[in-house]
Amino acid sequence: MDPSALNSPELQNLLAQEKEKAMISEMISKLTSSCWDKCITGSPGSKFSSSEANCLTNCAQRYMDMSLVIMKRLHQ
Amino acid sequence: MDSFSSPSSGSSPKFSTDDIMTQLRTQLEQAYAEEFLETVRGKCFDKCITKPGSSLSGSESSCISRCIDRYIEATGIIGKALFNQR
Repeated sequence: MDPSALNSPELQNLLAQEKEKAMISEMISKLTSSCWDKCITGSPGSKFSSSEANCLTNCAQRYMDMSLVIMKRLHQ
Repeated sequence: MDSFSSPSSGSSPKFSTDDIMTQLRTQLEQAYAEEFLETVRGKCFDKCITKPGSSLSGSESSCISRCIDRYIEATGIIGKALFNQR
């Protein structure tokens, strides 16, 4: 393989995009796992109750809030 | 598409950026699928197989089926919540 192909700005750019997508996927995966544990306490039903669905949504959003708090705190 | 070196040089064909990216995306897809499978196995085993018997009961099987559907649904809810807020 021609080594100079690895240095192309085009490839570096595409790799950077894939890396960002991968990081987002990982975050969704980890968050779903945590929020499932927090919110789905009983046996899985044939659909989510509204409290279960709300809990999942809240869980993700509170995680983002927390993330902001942490970043602000660490930048003081 | 790819350019092939002349026979006299003996070096291997160049791979295009497209080839590299296609391979990368395929590998990533596979890795995500495996990770998802592993997670769902763990969650649904914990929820549905509370007292392991000598075979899977009907209620255990239906629980597992519901569990898979709910977990997929939960993944969607979390994804939307993260990127649709306010």
